[in-house]
Amino acid sequence: MSAVPRAGGLRAAVLPGAVAGVAGGLVFGAAMAMLGTLPTVASIVRADSPYTGFAVHLVIAVVLGIGFAALVSRQRARAGELLFWGLAYGAFWWFLGPQTLLPLLRGLPVAWDLAGARALVPSLIGHLCYGTAVALVLVLLSGSRDRVRSGLRPTVLLRGAAAGLLAGSVVGGLGVMAGASPGPLPLAGLPLGLGYPLLFSAEREGAGPAIVRGAAYGFLCWIAAELTLPPLLRDGVLDWSHTAAAAAAGRLPGYILLGALTSALFTLLGALAAGLFTDDVRLARTEAPGARGLRATGHGILAGLAGGLVFTGVMVAAGALPTVARLVGGQSAAVGLLVHLVIAQIVGVSYAVLFRRRGFDLASGLGWGVSYGFVWWVLGGLTLLPVLLGGEPRWSAAGMAAAFPSLVGHLAYGAALGMVYYALEARANPWWVTRNEAEAARVAARQEQTLGSAPALWTLTAILALIIPLLVAGGG
Amino acid sequence: MAPGDGVAGPVARWASVGAGAGGGLVAGVLVGALMEHQGMVAGRAGAPAWVAFGVLGVVVGAAMGPLHGHRAPGAAVAVPGGMTAGLLGWMVWFLTGEPLLRGEAPEWSAEAAGRAYRELVGCLLSGGLTGALYQGAALLVRRLAPPAPEPGPAARVVVVGGGFAGVAAARRFERLALRGHRLDVTLVSASNYLLFTPMLAEVASGALQARHISAPVRAAASHTRFRHGTVEQIDPVRRTVTLDAGSGRPEALPYDHLVLAVGSVAHAAGLPGVDEHAFTLKDLGDARVLRDHVLALLERADLEPDDRKRRQLLTFVVAGGGFAGTEAVAELFDLVHSVLPYYPGIGEGDPRFVLVHSGAMILPELPPELGAYALERLRARGIEVRLGVRAAGAGPADVRLTSGELISTRTFVWTAGQRANPLAATLPAERGRGGALVVDATMRVPGLEGVWAVGDCARIPAPDGGTYPPTAQHAQREGRQVADNIAAVVSGRAPRPFAFRTLGVFVALGHRTAAGEIRGRRFSGLAAWMLWRGIYLAKLPGIEKRARVLFDWALDLAFPRDIAVTAPPAHRFPAAARFPRPEEGS
Repeated sequence: MSAVPRAGGLRAAVLPGAVAGVAGGLVFGAAMAMLGTLPTVASIVRADSPYTGFAVHLVIAVVLGIGFAALVSRQRARAGELLFWGLAYGAFWWFLGPQTLLPLLRGLPVAWDLAGARALVPSLIGHLCYGTAVALVLVLLSGSRDRVRSGLRPTVLLRGAAAGLLAGSVVGGLGVMAGASPGPLPLAGLPLGLGYPLLFSAEREGAGPAIVRGAAYGFLCWIAAELTLPPLLRDGVLDWSHTAAAAAAGRLPGYILLGALTSALFTLLGALAAGLFTDDVRLARTEAPGARGLRATGHGILAGLAGGLVFTGVMVAAGALPTVARLVGGQSAAVGLLVHLVIAQIVGVSYAVLFRRRGFDLASGLGWGVSYGFVWWVLGGLTLLPVLLGGEPRWSAAGMAAAFPSLVGHLAYGAALGMVYYALEARANPWWVTRNEAEAARVAARQEQTLGSAPALWTLTAILALIIPLLVAGGG
Repeated sequence: MAPGDGVAGPVARWASVGAGAGGGLVAGVLVGALMEHQGMVAGRAGAPAWVAFGVLGVVVGAAMGPLHGHRAPGAAVAVPGGMTAGLLGWMVWFLTGEPLLRGEAPEWSAEAAGRAYRELVGCLLSGGLTGALYQGAALLVRRLAPPAPEPGPAARVVVVGGGFAGVAAARRFERLALRGHRLDVTLVSASNYLLFTPMLAEVASGALQARHISAPVRAAASHTRFRHGTVEQIDPVRRTVTLDAGSGRPEALPYDHLVLAVGSVAHAAGLPGVDEHAFTLKDLGDARVLRDHVLALLERADLEPDDRKRRQLLTFVVAGGGFAGTEAVAELFDLVHSVLPYYPGIGEGDPRFVLVHSGAMILPELPPELGAYALERLRARGIEVRLGVRAAGAGPADVRLTSGELISTRTFVWTAGQRANPLAATLPAERGRGGALVVDATMRVPGLEGVWAVGDCARIPAPDGGTYPPTAQHAQREGRQVADNIAAVVSGRAPRPFAFRTLGVFVALGHRTAAGEIRGRRFSGLAAWMLWRGIYLAKLPGIEKRARVLFDWALDLAFPRDIAVTAPPAHRFPAAARFPRPEEGS
């Protein structure tokens, strides 16, 4: 079901886009009022009044809202997933707006420097909130409430709560291992788990895309639960500053893992329930994993090896191979390389299991691969590797910055993994060559899902992966 | 492809690459020029900054087409895709390539990334703009480009036969279709499964489940149109195959190219009584019938008080000392002796096994040393091997040999004669030994336009002047080659002659024993048996069947063989059905 009107393109998008833009503008405007940045916006029209700034801001918000509605009008985005389009749209406009157009309009030089960007962290979060609000209002305007209703079913809510609590316990335990206070992580699992089916419906989907979506969902929850609500409830003010973000960055990996694990568990529990309690085989019909899953596993090994070889360059340059060798009690770079390649293949197999038949072209292979690489940076590079070496997870702003080479390696690994896996799958398993209409309908449904929020998720993940460690570094 | 998607032709592919590269150039130059104008970046190596961004933009833009399958994916997909590609381009170029060009080792550290933050923003924005321009250019190209000429109808290919050669051809056609060949392929087979014949004797002995050595054709060639039915007639003039699919009315399948891969059938050469009273071992039904028959005889023999009748029930005669006959007698020996503990009325020395072979040595396909080894192993177990004699006829309770000997038996297995499927004989073409169609080196049937023959029903000339043997390894490669050749002919190219050197041959000699050779290297005994199992396990079609056979073998090590007789009583076995009627062979 579409969230926004499709027919008519821009014309049909004007009214809902404008309304959504107003809503988003009010949210962002309120935040700007609290942060005291409205006069900056007013300077576009050579004024300094916050009221003028608010009016200018609202006009911009409406224009951008219409643009957003037009942009997603042809997407087959599911209602809840429009959220990620909004987030990606907000992030994009953070680069184009306050970092580029605003200085130009004010007659100032464009300054794409890191210090300036760090000063604009509040603006980034404001843009993300704007995108969220615009997307959610568009969902409400579309009248798409069926999926919300499906998410309100007691069994679905129970599943979400169970997934959230379980994930919260696991990630909270890792947070304790991090040495720092895990904050509300264990308890955050419950509302996060309950919110998941409400936002994203209880529709069955692959665990791989769910993990990527969950990671982005966890980031959103981090903004809400760590950056926004505590100062608002405690002092009645917003504090989205670079310093505050850096201070809260220690719990960002936890939230990302919490979101990813919650969504994975929610999906798996759903599949388990369907497998156990569905008495109609038509509803439980899934392809037996042994039929082509083993071939997919082989492809995962090959693709993981390819990605691992790409990653090896970064490992060698960063001198990280001896560290990896310590996982098996070795010290030499050769042992490290062996362990690294074995891990790369294991992760490749997990990619094959989770993302099999989710790639429709090289772009989707690249997108899922990069996103999965990022998740593994958080899980492997920041968490498991230091823990398995007897240390603490690197859940801090400084830790994330120090692990930046590893992030680059993981993203490159994911890109190679996703593209090679897609190429192998397309070569040996041309599953989209349909034989009958039922098969065509199944393929179309999957393509529709990929064309839903997936591109927004990939881009959002890539942007956040590269930007957040830089922005929060040096402030904690 | 999914509905609405088409496979982009070469022109469309290059156009999309060009559109993306052009869009990337514009976006890169714009962003680079802006950055230079704003004093954010300095020129590099004597070139202005926008040159580097322009080059990077061209690379990122050129990747847009391949990334999106050379389609216009929509702005909402193209723009984020461009941004992601731009970010990756930043990683590759500004974090990695530039330091290398400066002669420095890339750091990939947060500090280095922070220093390149401006380029990061530039790459992100130019990537997004590249995506938008690619989308616009792709739409423009689609609108302005002259409509692609309607492709002519795809060449119709009918493959008759669901054996090794036929299925291999169908699978190859699937690959060729993926590479853009326009072929409309239909596979016709009387059985809807591909039988792994090298393990058939093990099914007859109960060591393997029948279903485990057969793969459904629909699964083995899952994207090929499959018709389960019997070919009644081939009209090479009108290029039509007449199919009886069981609906009661014949169906005509027109073809441009016909691949005959109908295999061979048992042939008794008119020997009296053989058709009526002998068992064959050509398909799963034969194997099941033979196993049930043997077990039923053991049940009867266990209670039979008359020694003469008991000996008759417990005498098993196999005609033919080739692979099939040798493996059959060895497996029957294993079956009977492995289940004897269930039958206290039968002594260990009571069962009698006779292998009749017309040649001076069994297994003529193997080197003489290995044939002698096999002969010695069989005789060591007490199997009687009669060399230089043939079966002259068979009755319901005996087999006559050309030596005059009359062997009293209820079990006579015929593997001594094969001939090409009778369907081959209906074609007006030259036939060679065993009725196989004589084809040229490219596997085309001379004189019949568009007709090709592969597998056991064809005599394919080998470079050494002989013909290729009718084995599975040859049939599979012939099937692949004939598909390539048909695709070549359809594309206006010349077909290639078939050339293949036999990898090796193995024969199983029963309990933990085998003999064979690989590329001239000979193996025998346990090592050969392990090689036989390993190789044939790997050759089974599909991982599922491999797993099932592996489990069967593993269970066979731990548990006794099952002696349940699942077929109707022995006296109801329709003897006439043991030999296929001519129309059943395909």
